Amino acid sequence: MTASALTRPGERDRVSSKLAEIDWRLTGLLCIVAGVGTAMLYSVAGGQWQPWALDHMVRFGVLLAAMLGLAMVHPKWWFRAAYPLYAVLLVMVLLIEFTPLGYEPVGAGAKNWLNLGFIRLQPGEFMKLGVVLALARWYHNHTANDARFSWKLLIPAAMIGVPFLLIAKQPDLGSAMMVGLTGAIIMFVAGLSWKIIATGALAAVVTIPPFVMFGMHDYQRNRVLTFLNPEADPTGTGYNIIQSKIALGSGGLLGRGYGLGSQSQLEFLPERHTDFIFSTLSEEFGFVGSVTVLACYIAIILISLRIASLSHSHFGRIAAAGATGTFALYVLINGAMVMGMAPVVGVPMPLLSYGGSSMMTIMLGFGLVMATRVHRYVELPKGQIL
Amino acid sequence: MSSEPSIFFSDVNERQGSFLRRTFVVGGLTALGVVALTGRLTQLQVVQAQDYATLAKENQFNFRLVLPPRGLIKDRNGVVIAGNRPSFRVLIVRDETNDLDQTLDLLGQLMPDTVERRRAIIRDVNAAARFSPVPVKSDLTWDEFAKVNLYAPELPGVMADMNDARFYPFGGAFAHVIGYVAKPNDRDIAAIRERDEEVPQILYNPGFRIGRQGVEKALDTRLRGVEGGNRVEVDARGRVVAEDIGGSRPAVPGDEVILTLDADVQNRALEVFGEEAGGAVLMDVRNGDILCMVSAPSFDPNLFVSGVPSRTYRALADYERRPLLDKALTGTFAPGSTFKPVVGLAALRRGANPERRIVCTGGFYLGRRFACHATHGVQTLRDAIKNSCNVYFMTLAVEMGPDAIAVAARELGFGQTYDLGVGGQKAGLVPDTQWRRDNPVRGDSKWYPGETPSYGIGQGALTVNALQLAVYTSRLANGRKAVMPRLIKSIGGVEQPPAAAVTDLPFDAAAFKVVQEGMEAVTDVGGTGFRNSQLGLGPVRMAGKTGTAQSRNYGSGSRKGAGRPWAQKDHNLFIAYAPIDNPRYAVAVIIQHGGMGGGTAGAPRAREIMRVALLKDPEIRARIEQSGFVETEDPGAHDVAEVTPLPASVAPAEATSPPPASSDLPQ
Repeated sequence: MTASALTRPGERDRVSSKLAEIDWRLTGLLCIVAGVGTAMLYSVAGGQWQPWALDHMVRFGVLLAAMLGLAMVHPKWWFRAAYPLYAVLLVMVLLIEFTPLGYEPVGAGAKNWLNLGFIRLQPGEFMKLGVVLALARWYHNHTANDARFSWKLLIPAAMIGVPFLLIAKQPDLGSAMMVGLTGAIIMFVAGLSWKIIATGALAAVVTIPPFVMFGMHDYQRNRVLTFLNPEADPTGTGYNIIQSKIALGSGGLLGRGYGLGSQSQLEFLPERHTDFIFSTLSEEFGFVGSVTVLACYIAIILISLRIASLSHSHFGRIAAAGATGTFALYVLINGAMVMGMAPVVGVPMPLLSYGGSSMMTIMLGFGLVMATRVHRYVELPKGQIL
Repeated sequence: MSSEPSIFFSDVNERQGSFLRRTFVVGGLTALGVVALTGRLTQLQVVQAQDYATLAKENQFNFRLVLPPRGLIKDRNGVVIAGNRPSFRVLIVRDETNDLDQTLDLLGQLMPDTVERRRAIIRDVNAAARFSPVPVKSDLTWDEFAKVNLYAPELPGVMADMNDARFYPFGGAFAHVIGYVAKPNDRDIAAIRERDEEVPQILYNPGFRIGRQGVEKALDTRLRGVEGGNRVEVDARGRVVAEDIGGSRPAVPGDEVILTLDADVQNRALEVFGEEAGGAVLMDVRNGDILCMVSAPSFDPNLFVSGVPSRTYRALADYERRPLLDKALTGTFAPGSTFKPVVGLAALRRGANPERRIVCTGGFYLGRRFACHATHGVQTLRDAIKNSCNVYFMTLAVEMGPDAIAVAARELGFGQTYDLGVGGQKAGLVPDTQWRRDNPVRGDSKWYPGETPSYGIGQGALTVNALQLAVYTSRLANGRKAVMPRLIKSIGGVEQPPAAAVTDLPFDAAAFKVVQEGMEAVTDVGGTGFRNSQLGLGPVRMAGKTGTAQSRNYGSGSRKGAGRPWAQKDHNLFIAYAPIDNPRYAVAVIIQHGGMGGGTAGAPRAREIMRVALLKDPEIRARIEQSGFVETEDPGAHDVAEVTPLPASVAPAEATSPPPASSDLPQ
């Protein structure tokens, strides 16, 4: 590493030098997972590129280019953009809540879209990255003591808590949870005191059961109760989990063959192209296939965490770790969900599931991770960087 | 932000060190999470793989029951009298409808009769399993079927298909003997459970029908066939994606049943009854084959196949002529004068002289006067049969007592049921002193001599059914052969033997000769049945015996019931066999409340039924044609009114007779 062009002043800002510093292992793994996703979408459409596989592939191609582009962006620009971006996203979430610009897609059960006339978007999706950047900037400017245990922690807590509550109120519980847990991971890696962690954990244990019973909407509560006992209503709310487990189990060691999974092909498996695509994969490629994909995921996560740890700036460390944390949460929550180990919440499997918003969040996040790697020797000063 | 220098080396170190440790923990926890997921995958995909593979198969493959075609029932000439026809059904799949109420509204416009059954339909649909179709209406007309298909795009979850439905092409003609099929009900299932048998799954199939009466009931298990199965691959909505030929099993059709009946004779029999009530049985006197067994009025068994509307059922059940009762087997009646040959044969066996002369003065006296319907003067046995003289047979009966009559009656075929292979037979009653001891009247178990004169003329406690009368007539006609009736000719191609070997009856052949001569005289000039029993078939003539059975006490009123309401008139009976010189067929007709004696109602109908049977017999037909007789019209085309010239005096009686069933219905 020491022989890298980045260490030679004058060369490090050249695009060619920067391109050479992109982590091609990580990029390759992302391509592999997205490629598997495309193949699975081709399969569940009955061997058709339409309606999902081609979309997925094109979308990934565009976002891969965006990721590589963002990797070129100097951390100071990320740093400068952090608070304004966070503010804009927060305003958007507020607009959803308090103006007629927010709307609820038919059957979605949550008012989580913003219609700005020229564009429609889900600010809740991007809020994960907004929180990551804002917190990274805040921690960059604060000391280890501040991060461990001080009244100043109320600021990052509010940065997480305000969007969390607003999104939870929509009620897009999946996104809110992702925002909250991403924030928690960042506070943890930034060095939060174990005392606060223990207190928070205790508070969660005490408050969650009453929240489930009284604070949730019926459909959300059903999901949780169904998770606890899916067999109670096998044709209703428990149907998804039961069918998913059948798909996984019937895949066996080597799978039923590409395009031959009866659970997915005959549509017994619901949401088989989005939230439950991992079940389709497991059915058709078996234990070997699903473990291989899980191995790709853990490799992506560990490589990204390594990138975070190599950054010379605290901003880069926190931002890369935060983006990686979001990705890891996606993988673990979706994996646990399709295997019947967690309630069915609308969390997709990154890069496998069909869907533009989540893929955009994921790939922009990896843009941030990659930028951190490319600019790992850049040392940002504390304070405002203009 | 702070007054401290921008970078404290120690602080930076501390921040970085803490971050690295914490990141290591996060990486470790994530790895642990993935290991946990892998463990779960191991459990699901390796350990429990077999269980889940089975569940996936259960999802993927469905065994669709294929109903077997019910066995055909044919007459002796191979004419189908109970068959299967294609029937169109409408089914609803709840999970594919957008809005059940809206769908039913639209269906109600297409098929108005679904509106009144709406609540039942909703109940059925809601009780059904996910994606399983529920029949809403069966037996659609082609019009309705076309409409449902036309509106199919606006009726998601509604589909129309075709299945087999039982069909009785001759309607009511065979209703009682063939019976009908209907949806199995709770009682059918309870009955099977009571016999400690397993209820076949097929009974729960909405298209399955169970035999409910007659042959359909008695031979139900043979007619049913064996259900097949189609192993089909279905998607989550239950739609068939593919058929697995290897795993499918074809349905085995039910056995074909051939009866001894002749559809032409049977149809003619029901036709000649017109609006009269009663039963008729025609038999081959040599082998006992029943060519005709009819009960009138009848009902259309096709109504019962897809469920008879309760209003129609009530109309049938409430009508006083009781169309649902089988008057050939189940209904029993006093035989009246048709019983007189039994009394004659019983007396001859005890050594009576057929040439003995008894003077009829118009009444028989035993404690009181028993009336004869005329003053016949001096009578021999032949004369007494010809004239149906009551005095003669009352005299014989009182001389020998009830037990001798009863023995002869049983030997000749009364007081018993026959193994026809169908249920519903009533044995009737042949009374004797033993019977009276078993059934005392107000504690008195003595048979009084005053009861015997009525017995001698076929009245009193004596009751018989039309089948027994036909068996008895056959035995009179064939010269002492104890022929047994047979209804089922073959099942599944296997010939059914007659119930028992034909033995000779313990009477002298000469005694039969006397009775036969008497019966020949009945239908000859001057006999009681002369006018209405001329076949018009040249040399082929019919011998018979009239009968009138009182259905109430006359008191001092007029006899026979002319001018009386229908239910108070006498029963009219006629038994006959033909040809006289070489008897081939015997027929017995009972006209319930037919009124008037002397074979006015029974004889002409017996004649018409007999004509068809004779003309269909190739040997007899050849003989008729040899003698120059040319049939100018289809024997089945006779107008009923023409063949039953009723005396003018009957007219007022007709006016008081009940209206036909249809006008009982509210409009």
